Amino acid sequence: MDSEDDMHDANDLESVDDDFYSGDTGMGSDDGDAHYDFGDNESDDSDDITSRQQQNYAILSEADIRQHQGEDISRVSTVLSIPRYAACILLRHYNWSISRVHDEWFADEEHVRKVVGLLEKPVEMPNARELTCGICFENYPRDCMNSASCGHPFCWACWRGYISTSISDGPGCLMLRCPDPSCSAAVGQNIVELLATDEDKEKYSHYLLRSYVEDNRKIKWCPAPGCEFAVEYVIGSGNYDICCSCSYNFCWNCTEEAHRPVDCVTVAKWILKNSAESENMNWILANSKPCPKCKRPIEKNQGCMHITCTPPCKFEFCWLCLGPWSDHGERTGGFYACNRYEAAKQEGAYDESERRREMAKNSLERYTHYYERWATNQSSRQKALADLHSMQNEKLEKLSDRQSQPESQLKFIIEAWLQIVECRRVLKWTYAYGYYLPEHEHAKRQFFEYLQGEAESGLERLHQCAEKELQVYLDAESPMKDFNDFRTKLAGLTSVTRNYFEHLVQALETGLEDVGSSNSQATCSKSSSSKILGNKSKSGKIKPAGASSAAGAPSRSMDDGNLWSCDHCTFANPKATNTCHMCEHHR
Amino acid sequence: MANSNLPRRIIKETQRLLSEPAPGISASPSEDNMRYFNVMILGPSQSPYEGGVFKLELFLPEEYPMAAPKVRFLTKIYHPNIDKLGRICLDILKDKWSPALQIRTVLLSIQALLSAPNPDDPLSDNIARHWKTNEAEAVETAKEWTRLYATGA
Ligand SMILES: [Zn+2]
Ligand SMILES: [Zn+2]
Ligand SMILES: [Zn+2]
Ligand SMILES: [Zn+2]
Ligand SMILES: [Zn+2]
Ligand SMILES: [Zn+2]
Ligand SMILES: [Zn+2]
Ligand SMILES: [Zn+2]
Repeated sequence: MDSEDDMHDANDLESVDDDFYSGDTGMGSDDGDAHYDFGDNESDDSDDITSRQQQNYAILSEADIRQHQGEDISRVSTVLSIPRYAACILLRHYNWSISRVHDEWFADEEHVRKVVGLLEKPVEMPNARELTCGICFENYPRDCMNSASCGHPFCWACWRGYISTSISDGPGCLMLRCPDPSCSAAVGQNIVELLATDEDKEKYSHYLLRSYVEDNRKIKWCPAPGCEFAVEYVIGSGNYDICCSCSYNFCWNCTEEAHRPVDCVTVAKWILKNSAESENMNWILANSKPCPKCKRPIEKNQGCMHITCTPPCKFEFCWLCLGPWSDHGERTGGFYACNRYEAAKQEGAYDESERRREMAKNSLERYTHYYERWATNQSSRQKALADLHSMQNEKLEKLSDRQSQPESQLKFIIEAWLQIVECRRVLKWTYAYGYYLPEHEHAKRQFFEYLQGEAESGLERLHQCAEKELQVYLDAESPMKDFNDFRTKLAGLTSVTRNYFEHLVQALETGLEDVGSSNSQATCSKSSSSKILGNKSKSGKIKPAGASSAAGAPSRSMDDGNLWSCDHCTFANPKATNTCHMCEHHR
Repeated sequence: MANSNLPRRIIKETQRLLSEPAPGISASPSEDNMRYFNVMILGPSQSPYEGGVFKLELFLPEEYPMAAPKVRFLTKIYHPNIDKLGRICLDILKDKWSPALQIRTVLLSIQALLSAPNPDDPLSDNIARHWKTNEAEAVETAKEWTRLYATGA
């Protein structure tokens, strides 16, 4: 039972039952977590948010599902020495848990047989030349009749009708019993295959496939509309993020869109809150706002929050707080504060419009702050996703042409866009997190808003660079000399932004435990200890040697004057300190 | 018209219903539609329906016997599993239907339901509540209704 215990997760008590017999199911779930380094919340495998290699799930196509199902049926059939159709009935009854079938069977075979309708000794049909069908009351030669294992004879036409009626009633046909009302003998796929129409056979097999996914606690359909993949998950393996082959990211546990590092409960609360407030919030989603300077309506048709009003005004402002962009992009003393509700409130951003004044009630105003940022990052992510696709499908080729660069040398652009898409998603969910972070936890809130602000401002720079600065090289008539500088800058921003987000995700996943300088050492020693232990792939991703040196230069030049970038973790620290806020590394 | 290609099974069932009727039950097909039956069930002795004669209608849908017959009380009856339109809450008329069941078994089951009302699986909430809170009084009402609606006329 050892392997079973390995599978057992404290959060998931039911997981005990699963699969200590099951063999080669394609993902080796029977081996407990031997093949998977799931981490234990302590380790920093949580750091890589873009390309997690080790998977605790497998994406299954329809063919894969059939294969897994077939293997499970064979296994039970072999171990219990029963026909495949009987193994299938048993598995269906016990929600496709092999270990459950085995446990129940070996504990009390007689009882199990009775419950599912599998007779121990099949009964032959009465031995007469002619028999009367129990449905149509006609007499037929014995050869033209069939029965389940109970021997109650029915003619082929009646069987076909009986099976067909049951199949058209839905998935209950998988638990079909003998038509005789006093008999509970199971009617399995063998009889369906023998007697039903081709159309019904196909429907039955489709229900069987669906059942293997829908009644199986280890498998779920991908929730993306129209997607036909299923996901088999290693129960108890911790990380719930699933990336389906259709490219949709979702949470295994709650099947909402992936929301790491925010937990499912917070997400559910937030989604409920959003639907309760949806009427009040519709205006937030409007794509146009008055320019804070000239009051003309400005439309947002880009992903990044840096808006420039049309000439002659040309005022550069932040879409979210309507403050001057100069307070955002460059470091002008103090920290990035657009993400902070208290800061926005003090500056009177919420007196901006008539509409906002109506929302004077503090609770709604506070919610508005978080909701707008959550929703805007969501739409910004959609835009980035579309940009990523157009980059992959057409623009990269064009750029390669214009700048005389082989496409293989332009991967850094795709990487930048992938990073933007992922970071928008994380950033979006941190606003749900921020909304529920208790007001009175000042230290935690400060730490959180600091990390979130760093991450957000990094992302804005990256997004702007990928969106606007790249355009110049796309529009250029001939190759431009400074394209290599652009490459360095974008690759650097990608790497720096990734680091910021890794810090943010890690901090949220440890519940902001590292707040305060004495604790922050823990973060540092953890990550270094994992490096000492030779956790190559992970530590490699936290700080890719090549990338970090590329990142070093631009991040330092951008942090002109007021900040210094930590050599150890690239975190941007205020000039006034000599020790890195994140890892205690000295300048 | 509906009678032209009546399945042998329905003909056989009908013949048997007429030649060997079940005690306390009569069922005869309508002249112009052999799938429509006029049914009478005598209130079982020792039940609040004793002495009453209850009229029902029974219809065999096109899919019969793969689908259950449709049965309804025409006589008003005070019973927790029968609603005021005469519809009956009985498992074999719904998910427990099997094509190996027959008109006879259905009617016998309905007769048994009159002897043993089941207020835990009610069709009529008010009557079921009455039955559960004050069975003696509910039984009195059932007797009263039997006298009023199920005798004579
Ligand atoms: Zn038949
Ligand atoms: Zn049988
Ligand atoms: Zn999918
Ligand atoms: Zn979730
Ligand atoms: Zn303007
Ligand atoms: Zn921007
Ligand atoms: Zn702002
Ligand atoms: Zn550091």
